[in-house]
Amino acid sequence: MPATVKVIKKPRRTIAEQAYVPEVAKGIGFAMGRFFKNTFGPTAKKEIDTVKYPEEKRDYPERFRGIHRLTQRTDGSPRCVACLCCSTACPAQCIYIEAAEYEPDDPRYGYERYPAVFMIDELRCIFCGYCVEACPCDAIRMDTGMHMPPSTSREHFLYDKETLLSIPGKDGTYLTANPRHEPGDPSHPGIDREQGH
Amino acid sequence: MPTFKLDGREISFEPGETVIQAAWRVGIEIPHYCWHPGLSVAANCRMCLVHITSGRQMAMPQLERDEETGEYVPSTKPKLQPACQLAAEENMEVSSTSDVVKEAQASVQEFLLLNHPVDCPICDQAGECKLQDYYYSHQATLKRKLTEPVHKPKGVRFGPTIVYDAERCIMCTRCIRVCDEVAHDHVLDMRERGNKAEIILAPGRELDHKYTLMTEHVCPVGALTSSDFRFKARVWFLKSAPSVCTGCATGCNSHADYDPRYGKVYRLRPRDNPDVNKFWMCDDGMMTYTRHETDRLLMPTAGRGDEREPVLDDEALWLAAEQLRKVEASKLAVVLSAQHTTEDNVALVKLAQALGAGHLYLAALGGWEGDDILRSDDNNPNRAGAIQAAGGTQLKTVAELLTEVQAGVVQGVLALGWATAERLEELAPLVALETVVSLTSHVGALPAVASVAIPVADIYEIEGCFVNDKGMAQAFKPVLPAPVGVEPGWKAIAALASQLGHDLGFQDLQALRQGLTTDVEAAQ
Repeated sequence: MPATVKVIKKPRRTIAEQAYVPEVAKGIGFAMGRFFKNTFGPTAKKEIDTVKYPEEKRDYPERFRGIHRLTQRTDGSPRCVACLCCSTACPAQCIYIEAAEYEPDDPRYGYERYPAVFMIDELRCIFCGYCVEACPCDAIRMDTGMHMPPSTSREHFLYDKETLLSIPGKDGTYLTANPRHEPGDPSHPGIDREQGH
Repeated sequence: MPTFKLDGREISFEPGETVIQAAWRVGIEIPHYCWHPGLSVAANCRMCLVHITSGRQMAMPQLERDEETGEYVPSTKPKLQPACQLAAEENMEVSSTSDVVKEAQASVQEFLLLNHPVDCPICDQAGECKLQDYYYSHQATLKRKLTEPVHKPKGVRFGPTIVYDAERCIMCTRCIRVCDEVAHDHVLDMRERGNKAEIILAPGRELDHKYTLMTEHVCPVGALTSSDFRFKARVWFLKSAPSVCTGCATGCNSHADYDPRYGKVYRLRPRDNPDVNKFWMCDDGMMTYTRHETDRLLMPTAGRGDEREPVLDDEALWLAAEQLRKVEASKLAVVLSAQHTTEDNVALVKLAQALGAGHLYLAALGGWEGDDILRSDDNNPNRAGAIQAAGGTQLKTVAELLTEVQAGVVQGVLALGWATAERLEELAPLVALETVVSLTSHVGALPAVASVAIPVADIYEIEGCFVNDKGMAQAFKPVLPAPVGVEPGWKAIAALASQLGHDLGFQDLQALRQGLTTDVEAAQ
C-alpha cells in the first residue's frame, strides 16, 4: 500500500515579523515588563520561581531525607541494638558500629545489646535511606529535615553516637512514632517463668 | 556396596549406616537439627522425617477435613521415619521431598519457632542459623501463634567461654552430647519438659573443660554463643579460608573466618578431617587466632636494651649480614623453629649449609597439658617438619645452645621465630654475643635478646605446610595479606643469603619442598 503523504506548509513570517525591529521591541518590552513587575511590583503579583536562599527557604516534601538521627527510648538510651542491619544495607559503607552488651543487672541484659561506637561518615553517605528501611528497631531515622551543616574539616562530618542521638526529628522530639514493649517497661510482659507459666 | 534410593537417586551405603549419614557422605543434606555426623543419634528434633515408599506401608489414623461437607472424616496418612535413626537397607526407596514429607518438615519448623523470640538482629547466629535457613527452604509461612511466647532465662553464663540463651534453644541436645562424647565430661544436661525445657549445668560445675567452644560450634541455633566472638562481628561480613591450627602438634584443620574490610581474623572453626581432628578443635586451639594480632614485630629493629631502635629494611639486612660475617662459620649456631613452616626451616637449613654453620638447634615451646582426645603434649605445630627440614637428625635444644654459648663453642646465633620455652632471663647468655640475628613474626624472648630482629610474615599471611605428630604434612594457604614490607620467612632468608653473597637456589615453595619425605602436594 503506497504511503499517504500529508504535506504541511512551512509557516511563513508576516511582514511585521520580517521587519525585525518591531519584534525586538516587543521582546524587550515583555522582558522589561517582567523585570519591573518582579522587582518593584506588589509581592502577590510577582511571577518568579527562584527563592532568595538562604534567607528564604522552601518547604521540603514530607519524606525528605535529611541527616540521620538515632532515636531514643524514654529513658534517653539509644533504641539501636547494634544489629548492623543498616551498615549491611548501606551501599556507601559509611556506617561503622561496635556492639556492646548491657550489664548483667540491667533489665535489658540478654534481650538487647547497644552500640558502643556508632559512627556515620556523612560525607560518604549518599542519602539513599536504605539504613532507615533496614532498621528493625526504628532506631535510625532521616526525618530531621536538616542538611549537613557545612564545615572546613572532614572530621566534622564523622557523626558519632552522641551527635546522632542529640539531633531531634522534625517534630522536635528524640523519640520515635513507633514505640514498642521494651524489657524493663511496665508494659513489657517480662520473664514469666518464675510466675509458673 | 549395597544401595538404596533417595528421591530416585541411587546411594550406596555401608551396612549399619543410617539414611541421613549415607546421604551426607555423598553431599545430600536431609534437613536436620539434632543429628551431627560426629555425635550419637538423638532423633529428637524430628526435622529429618522421611517417607519409606518401598515395602509394606505403615499408616497412621487421622481425621481429615472434608472441604465439601466441612466434616472431619477418618482417614490414614503415611507414618514417617526419622532419617537419622533409620538404618539404610538394600533396595529401600526413601523420599525426602514428597508432599507428605514437606508438610511434616514445615510443621516441625513451625513447632520449633512457636516460642522462638525471633531476635535475629541481636543474635550472633543470624546468617548461619539453621532456623533461618530452614524457615526459608521448608516453611515460609506467617506465624500463626499470636500470643506472648514463653520466656526463659537469657544471657546465662555457662562458664568463662559460653553464654546460653534458653529462649532460642530448640533442645536438640547436641551440646550435651558434645560434652559427653567428645570431652567425656557430663557437665550439661536438660531439665523440665516441653516449652519449659532448658539446658542446665551440673550442680556446682561450670562449663570449663577443654572443648567448651565445640558446644557453641555444634549449636544449630543461637542458643549458645561464645564469649569471645559474642557481638564482635556479623557472620555475613566474614570470609573463610582453610587453615591449620598452630596450637599443638595435632595440627587440627580449621577455617579462619576473617573480615576482608579490616584485615582481621575473628574466629576459627574446625574443618572436617577424619584423619586428624574429625569435626573438633580444643578451646586453646580455637583461640590461637588471637596470636595473629598481638605483639607483632612490624619494623626491623637493631641494637640492644635501651639502644634498640627501628631501622630500615635494607639497613637491617646489611647489619645482619655484617654481623654474621664476623662470626666464624664453625661457631655460628642456626636455630630452627617448631612454630614456623617446613619451608621456612628448609630455607634456613640451606642458608646454614651455604654458610658452613656447624650447629643446628630447634627452638620450641615447652609443651602443655595434652589429652587423649585431640590435644598433643607438644604445643608446637611443626616440630616434625623442622626435624625433617634438618634432614631427620635430632636437633639440639635452646638449653643446650645456652650452655654452648657459655662454653664459648658458639659465638653467633641466627634464629627463626619467637617461640622458645626459655624465659627472657634464662636467655641472658645470648645478650653477651655480638651477633644474634632473629627472623621473627612476633616479639618474644628470643627476639628480645637479638642484636638485629627482622620481621617475617605470620602464619595467616603465608602459604606453607606443617607436619603434625602423625607425620602428616598439611598445607595451608594465606588468609590475609602480610603487612607492608613484611615477607614470608623463606623469602627473608633468601634476601639475607643474597646479602651475604650466597644463592640458595630456590625461587618458590615448590623448590623448597623437593626432597621432603612427606608428600606436601598430596596434602593440598
